[in-house]
Amino acid sequence: MHRLSTALALVLALPATAEEFNFAVTTDPQTMDPHAVNSTPVLGFLNNVYEGLVRRGKDMSIEPSLAVSWEPIGEGEGWRFKLREGVTFQDGAAFNADDVVFSYERAASEQADTSSWFAPVSEVIKVDDYTVDIMTTAPNPIFPDSIANWMMMDSGWAEANGAARPDKDQGNYATLNANGTGPFQVVSRQPDLETVLEPHAGWWGEVEHNLTRVTMTPIQNPATALAALLSGDVDFINPVPIQDVARLEGNPEVRVIQGIEARVIMLGFDQQEGSAESGQGGADMFLDPRAREAVAKAINVPAILQTIMRGNAEVASQMVSPAMRGFSEANAAPYVYDAEAARSLAEEAGLAGQTIAFKCPNDRYLNDEAVCQAVTSMLAQAGMDVSLDAMPVSNYWPELRADNFDMYLLGWSPGTFDAEHPIRFLAATQDDEAKLGSWNFGGYSNARVDELLPMIQSEIDDTARQAMLDETAKILQDEVAYVPLYVQPLVWGARSGVELTQRPDDFFILRWVTVN
Amino acid sequence: MLSFIVKRVGQSVLVLLITGLVAFSMFTFVGDPIDNMLGQERTIEDVERLREQLGLDKPFVVQYYRFLEQAVQGNFGVSYRQGRPVAEILLERAPATLELAAVSGIFAILMGIALGVFTAIRRNGFAANLIMSASLIGVSLPTFLIGILLIYLFSVELGWLPSFGRGDTVDLGGWTTGFLTASGLKALILPSITLGLYQMTLIMRLVRSEMLEVLRQDYIRFAKARGLSDRVINFRHALKNTMVPVITVIGLQLGSIIAFAIITETVFQWPGVGLLFINAIQFVDIPVMAAYLMLISVMFVAINLLVDILYAFIDPRLRVAA
Repeated sequence: MHRLSTALALVLALPATAEEFNFAVTTDPQTMDPHAVNSTPVLGFLNNVYEGLVRRGKDMSIEPSLAVSWEPIGEGEGWRFKLREGVTFQDGAAFNADDVVFSYERAASEQADTSSWFAPVSEVIKVDDYTVDIMTTAPNPIFPDSIANWMMMDSGWAEANGAARPDKDQGNYATLNANGTGPFQVVSRQPDLETVLEPHAGWWGEVEHNLTRVTMTPIQNPATALAALLSGDVDFINPVPIQDVARLEGNPEVRVIQGIEARVIMLGFDQQEGSAESGQGGADMFLDPRAREAVAKAINVPAILQTIMRGNAEVASQMVSPAMRGFSEANAAPYVYDAEAARSLAEEAGLAGQTIAFKCPNDRYLNDEAVCQAVTSMLAQAGMDVSLDAMPVSNYWPELRADNFDMYLLGWSPGTFDAEHPIRFLAATQDDEAKLGSWNFGGYSNARVDELLPMIQSEIDDTARQAMLDETAKILQDEVAYVPLYVQPLVWGARSGVELTQRPDDFFILRWVTVN
Repeated sequence: MLSFIVKRVGQSVLVLLITGLVAFSMFTFVGDPIDNMLGQERTIEDVERLREQLGLDKPFVVQYYRFLEQAVQGNFGVSYRQGRPVAEILLERAPATLELAAVSGIFAILMGIALGVFTAIRRNGFAANLIMSASLIGVSLPTFLIGILLIYLFSVELGWLPSFGRGDTVDLGGWTTGFLTASGLKALILPSITLGLYQMTLIMRLVRSEMLEVLRQDYIRFAKARGLSDRVINFRHALKNTMVPVITVIGLQLGSIIAFAIITETVFQWPGVGLLFINAIQFVDIPVMAAYLMLISVMFVAINLLVDILYAFIDPRLRVAA
């Protein structure tokens, strides 16, 4: 009855209810398997098909999805989730606690790419058909936040089709087929060409969209995607090239939706002693914090944003954007541009006469190479000699892993939407055993930060936790561990008449789309 | 004769093997696929494990040997990006490229010959001069620019034709064709023109110069003296004799239409093997790159082998020399 009235309301509100919707993406999701690849194209798309225990709302807050409620167990031994009853998968099977346990085993397996989410988990226990206990090794206040993209798969379906574990290498049934509980189901999938979705009639939620059929086409060439939007062949593209934004704004048939992503673009430095033997770079020049400060002060970030980003981005002060949980208000002031101070700092630190090997990707972040060129010339104005080397991202990461740099550009989007995330991956001392600092290419290390990290991870009291996050942010800022530059913009384009919601994680959520 | 063929085949196989070796040595420079296959929360351990699993920790010569070992058994491996067998993907994509190549080839031949004849007959006419000057633009503008210009004119401004893709296709037992639907045919127009334009100008200029040459011959003059109509002279007598070198060139250009479809396919998001290859490069999808390059080199080597053998049949001197 409830659903009927909702449907009725929709019919009354929107005269044209039956809508086919076409959209273009740059990167086709590599797989339909929600546990095989942990990347934005895959998880963003599959969020329309699969669902987790919790999900993120329009404002990124955590809200109930397949779990109706959750509470900590005891003194933080774990979390108890009450599951929603009457939920069915798209093939008609019922959802219950067995599927949660199965999805845990699958997503935490060695073959999965999502296993790091479950590093704090010791056990998942089925209490009854609609209650699940997830036990953690230490108190974990942000655990529900960290599993918003952990999607539930039907155990019977996966086992019947030989897909009980993900297979990144050879692929399996779940690579090409999907069976979630979400609002849309995949009706046809041609990798790289076209993926067609239709609404899942048995979905438990209230339908807000008015789409009857959705077609996703990957278009890699930005000019082609733009032409497709302008000609009406597609209704939505992501991203719109920044240089075309102004032109689109004058066109009444399309509209540009701008916001900022969760991704902070920053500069990193080689701070390891004696890596000079690696050939280029590594003359230990950035061991001195004054050298890093010189770089921080030499860069006029607002000018970069004005020219290269055409005013579409925000200056960053720390490794996370203000929209993230745990952002440090106390350290919200970015480094101040001061070319003179930078020049004298560079001299003091002995940067003069040395060539800084600056590595940069040219196809990873928006206008990344142009930003690196601007940084290079700004550093030159402050008396620093920089040799810029920009390359495709496939060559970039191996170069960083091989320590072939003095300075590099990195963008970081915290998967948990929490300030703890970049500390764990970028600021903690590299430790393969403990899975810490796996992206800390420059080898930054601070004993106090390493000490604070596990305390932050297990602190249940929000005030105490924020105090520790503030302390960490201050240390990182004072020592100039990284130079945060800006928060990357999001620029989407849609036909006018398409209503949608843009979230800073760059996920395009179809159940919020209406077409008039 | 047999020994000649055996020798030529042997040389072709050698060429293929060397091409493969060069290709595999280049893959090291394209980058590392591992980071594209794993998310940002991967550990260094995961990276190492996957690298070993895929055999990427081995030198390229070993990787090449393994590829050959599998390839001779008909197994081209599994795409890193799609997690599906490469052979399956290539077969799925081939019809798109072959249909595009066929249509643009026919377009280039028909238009090239017609315009070539026209410009030869009306050597000093205004229209002929206009066509000749315009053809210079066709040769000198890069393909991707022509493609984008056509899209903006016919899709964005006029809204007549689709801006990307193949339109609706019909599956004929594993071969998807765009010839049987209206949207499929419409979708073929712009990419075919883009791809065929260069070949068209080439054929046009060749036909024109050959035709001018032929029109100066004595037998054309005698034909005129016999009082034959212009139409009969131009098309029955002159054009026939023009076609011999033209056909040779057309044969040679066919291979390059398929191989150079890459750019056109990228601009129009045409789901053929060229686009597949471009995407494979970006992702460092080594099995797809290897299979594609081998396929293209097999095609070129086979065409050349056939031509060599045909020449040998036609010209006995080559047989002796061999």
